[in-house]
Amino acid sequence: MPRVRLKYYALLREQSGCSEESIESGAVDAAGLYEELAARHGFSLAREQLKVAINAEFADWSRPLADGDEVVFIPPVAGG
Amino acid sequence: MSGFEFSQEPLDPAQLAAGLADVAAGGYASFEGWVRNENEGREVRRLDYQAFEELAIKEGGRIVAEAIRRFGVRGARCVHRLGELELGELAVWVGVSSGHRAEAFAACRYIIDEVKHRVPIWKKEHYLDGDSGWVNCERCAEAAGAHHGHPHHHAEPVPVYDYSRQVALKEVGPAGQRRLAAASVVVVGAGGLGCPVLSYLAGAGVGTLHVVDGDVVEASNLHRQPLYSLADAGRGKAESAAERLRALNPGITIEPHALRLTASNAAGLVSLGDVIVDCSDNFTTKFLVNDAAVLAGKPAVLASVYQYEGQLQVARPDAGGSCLRCLWPEATRDGLVGNCAESGVLGPVPAVLGSLQAMEVLKLLLGLPGQLHDEVVVIDLLSLDQYRLRAPRAAGCAGGRCNRITGLSTQASAAGLEIETTLDAAEADGYCIVDLREPDEVSRMPIAAENRAWPLARLLDEGPASLDPARRYLLVCSHGVRSLAAASHLRAAGIPRVFSLAGGLVRQPRREDTRA
Repeated sequence: MPRVRLKYYALLREQSGCSEESIESGAVDAAGLYEELAARHGFSLAREQLKVAINAEFADWSRPLADGDEVVFIPPVAGG
Repeated sequence: MSGFEFSQEPLDPAQLAAGLADVAAGGYASFEGWVRNENEGREVRRLDYQAFEELAIKEGGRIVAEAIRRFGVRGARCVHRLGELELGELAVWVGVSSGHRAEAFAACRYIIDEVKHRVPIWKKEHYLDGDSGWVNCERCAEAAGAHHGHPHHHAEPVPVYDYSRQVALKEVGPAGQRRLAAASVVVVGAGGLGCPVLSYLAGAGVGTLHVVDGDVVEASNLHRQPLYSLADAGRGKAESAAERLRALNPGITIEPHALRLTASNAAGLVSLGDVIVDCSDNFTTKFLVNDAAVLAGKPAVLASVYQYEGQLQVARPDAGGSCLRCLWPEATRDGLVGNCAESGVLGPVPAVLGSLQAMEVLKLLLGLPGQLHDEVVVIDLLSLDQYRLRAPRAAGCAGGRCNRITGLSTQASAAGLEIETTLDAAEADGYCIVDLREPDEVSRMPIAAENRAWPLARLLDEGPASLDPARRYLLVCSHGVRSLAAASHLRAAGIPRVFSLAGGLVRQPRREDTRA
């Protein structure tokens, strides 16, 4: 199982209670990873409302995970 | 031609002005010093001017060069008479040509004040009573460390705007300063992001700033919006900001627009700027700014903050770059994720992001390297982590067009969803009032009307199954943003009589007020 480093922003940070963590994931792609985390942390945002970046580049949700990936979930924010 | 000269012959101002003629200059200012008939109570008949010419020309030339550099003006020159002059004759002439009047006046004033102070020129006054005396009021008196003992008023050091610290950058220089002076920037939103954007762009001497904001200053804004003071509470933000910015830099033009950006006025407002800056606090406006800028082919510098974080993006439709819709294709998220009013924010967070926006605007206007292009910067100010993420253009967009933008519209229409009412009237009307604020907000500002507390996330989750389609519901929150989004969501889920309180609880009259 790949070990990935996760960063959370905004609502996801609040709901997970941490801004980053490192986990071993059974998911094969970014979408599966988010579903796994949503179930664990109770994320209320649907995947369609988010962006995922892997290793500093926005990625498709179908992107396979590799060991050592840095995965950042970014919800849209609107404050000004 | 030296910037400073002496002349033994009478001066002709028209001919001197013609020497500064410049089609790129929008203005010209001059000062003429004439021989006066009186000095310290003694009647003067005529004057003799003498100078230590070699030194005076060097020092005078330095002063004129300083003025050009400090004020970014296009041309400047000073000519001083020597020899015998009659009453009323022109003794000294200063002329400045410039793109803008304020710099022209300021540079003109600077030159004459400095010449009087620093250039070794003596005048011999011949008095009506036959007596005569040498006067060099400022320089000699100062050199001697003496009071010069006459009652006339010396000009106070004139506070003039000084761009020297940025002009000193070799990438800026006088040419860069002129580019800034010729530029126009439209800033949408004069709040937490807008305050630093406007302050730094005004400070940098951007020639015209359009301030678009339809809100009034609230006391709860002040911790993150340093353009305003407590005394401004209740005043329009656009006008208050314009007043402060004009005081900061009188040499630029500030145009306040006290209105909300809408689908019908966005194109017109965007047409006023070379660069558009989005400092708004909601998705509807952000997408409208983005779309209008893309349609107009103008760069838009966009930022958003949330609690301790921020995002920054520069849309470059003028350079085939990605825009906000490459990142977030759908626009209707207002109310579902937080803004500052609802989620809270620490003042320096928008200050950091707003300062970065101002920096990107200056990079664009000055052609500096490192401009954001097809990227999003995500910053966490707690951990101080910063990511610069590649955000390439969505497939299918080409040239200056985005295929997701067909025209300007505010996607979530409030029509039929919002009602203007008071809680008392709604209660009397039989509405079930649903307060969807978080418990801590409710405890800070409880509402007096009978209501059901149902925080947003729970309402969205449980509402469709548990609300009665036969009843009328009035959803309320602090500013009417979340309640509008929730009403829209619940309508779509099949609850027909759900409404949002327009403007939210902050717009409600206080109970004491209504009873008075």
